[in-house]
Amino acid sequence: MTWFTSALLVVLVLGGAARAEPSEAERAARWADLKHAIFGDRVVEDAGDRVVIDAPMRAEDAALVPVGIRVAQTLAPEVRGLYLVIDNNPSPLAAHFLLGPIADPSEIATRVRIDDYTYLHAVAETADGRLYATARFIKAAGGCSAPASKDQALALERLGKMKVNFAERTKPDQPVKAKLLISHPNNSGLQMDQVTRNYIPADFMQRLDVTYNGQSVFRLESDVSISEDPTFHFSIRPADPATPGVVKAEILDSSQRHFSQSWPVPAAAQM
Amino acid sequence: MKISGILAAVGLVLATVSTHAENLALPITEIAAGIFVHNGVQGEASAANEDGIANIGFIVGADAVAVIDPGGSFAEGTALRAAIRAHTDRPIRYVILTHVHPDHIFGAAAFRDDHPDFVGHAKLPGTLAQRGDYYLRRLRSALGDEAAGSEVVPPTLLVSDRLDLDLGGRHLSLQAHGPAHTDNDLTIFDENTRTIWLADLLFVDRIPAIDGSIVGWLKELDEVSGIPAERAVPGHGPISVPWPAAAEPERRYLEAVARQTRAAIKAGIGIADAWRHVANSERGRWLLFDDYHPRNVTAAYKELEWE
Repeated sequence: MTWFTSALLVVLVLGGAARAEPSEAERAARWADLKHAIFGDRVVEDAGDRVVIDAPMRAEDAALVPVGIRVAQTLAPEVRGLYLVIDNNPSPLAAHFLLGPIADPSEIATRVRIDDYTYLHAVAETADGRLYATARFIKAAGGCSAPASKDQALALERLGKMKVNFAERTKPDQPVKAKLLISHPNNSGLQMDQVTRNYIPADFMQRLDVTYNGQSVFRLESDVSISEDPTFHFSIRPADPATPGVVKAEILDSSQRHFSQSWPVPAAAQM
Repeated sequence: MKISGILAAVGLVLATVSTHAENLALPITEIAAGIFVHNGVQGEASAANEDGIANIGFIVGADAVAVIDPGGSFAEGTALRAAIRAHTDRPIRYVILTHVHPDHIFGAAAFRDDHPDFVGHAKLPGTLAQRGDYYLRRLRSALGDEAAGSEVVPPTLLVSDRLDLDLGGRHLSLQAHGPAHTDNDLTIFDENTRTIWLADLLFVDRIPAIDGSIVGWLKELDEVSGIPAERAVPGHGPISVPWPAAAEPERRYLEAVARQTRAAIKAGIGIADAWRHVANSERGRWLLFDDYHPRNVTAAYKELEWE
């Protein structure tokens, strides 16, 4: 068992209690517990405005809430890891991004499930092991047990398929901005089949590796809090902008399936 | 004398029961010979309306009755059954579930003792399995005690393409559609009166809710527009509308959402903000616009970003 899954188990035991709306003190206590479960006795500093969470105040679809983490340029070059914690989710550690040296951590975004009104915490980890945390409250509920799938035949047919949209660049030395779309149900294991009375088995992306010309952009360790058919926005600063680039994504899911796909990065448009 | 006295007493009891049933019966209108529709309220599910927000009803043949959508709760299903019994004592042979949504299916348990075939789209069992539990919990939280008795009733007769049902001198043609409003939409055509019961493939006045495929919905809307029907029964809105003229506002809305969502994706506008940029000309033309439009654009975005 990795430290990641053991941290999750601790949290699952702590969680799952009453449904009554928690007080601010209870919310703070929950974050203190989570922080300890994930980071142990390490000091977690307040990020101030150096780390910001982008998320809607109120989610239109709690099973599909876009969340971005922005890191200020003053801190970005030192950042090697980003954690996204959804305090009141059954499995709160939603994502841990391990960033490679060519990743531009100033902006990274995905879509998550949110089970109840909750604080989101983002924690940036620097190369020398410092931790900077920020929080944001979000109003959304029901996202973990609500199945989002609208067309199940299509979902099965498309399982494991990926797509990348690259933002246009006008100069070769601009960062490569990409949006990766992944077709995967990310079943949470929290949906009950009312006819058989069995829970639909959890089936989710455990690991996503994104590379650029063989170098790591990021590795994501993830969980059931990531949405069905998730997207990932990220940005790359190629070491050698003159060389044509290839972005590759590889997935390992909880059913031990592997998926991988790669895409050439379009050349910068000549102005 | 004695026997007639008993009969009189029985008659009195029956009359009482029947009056009681009529009191509980759902208000219903015969929109064409033998086609009865109850007009759902234009609102969200609540204890006060017993989740009676959809148009539901029944069709009567010479031999049997087919229910089309048993309603949004056991309470509403019971009242629909009482309305049927106030009109006819013919057996209720079919309970057609037009799609998975709670306001259409949770009355099904009220018809169990009639032992009908519960008819649904071939994809209904899978979607019910995924969502039934969630829908039931949500119904209980919205309705409280009024949700009592409401259950998920799985279909017993599945339609993967077409199915004809014979009610005695009356044929109903059921069509299973591709993903549109949901991925399990069924429509019913009554040849005798040339009535197409579209359920939630057609929203009138109330904003359409996209829970299947916006591209598919526009395609299915084109197909059903070619059906030579005199009238349609929408799932929400008036209980009878001229066909195919009544499809136009829905088509206009869906086309605007599809076109402008594609433009938002192309412009790099994120999924959370896209609805602010999409189909603003439709605001004020639909009931519950602000409750559903942002969700519709979110759903359309998620579908269209894969194009």
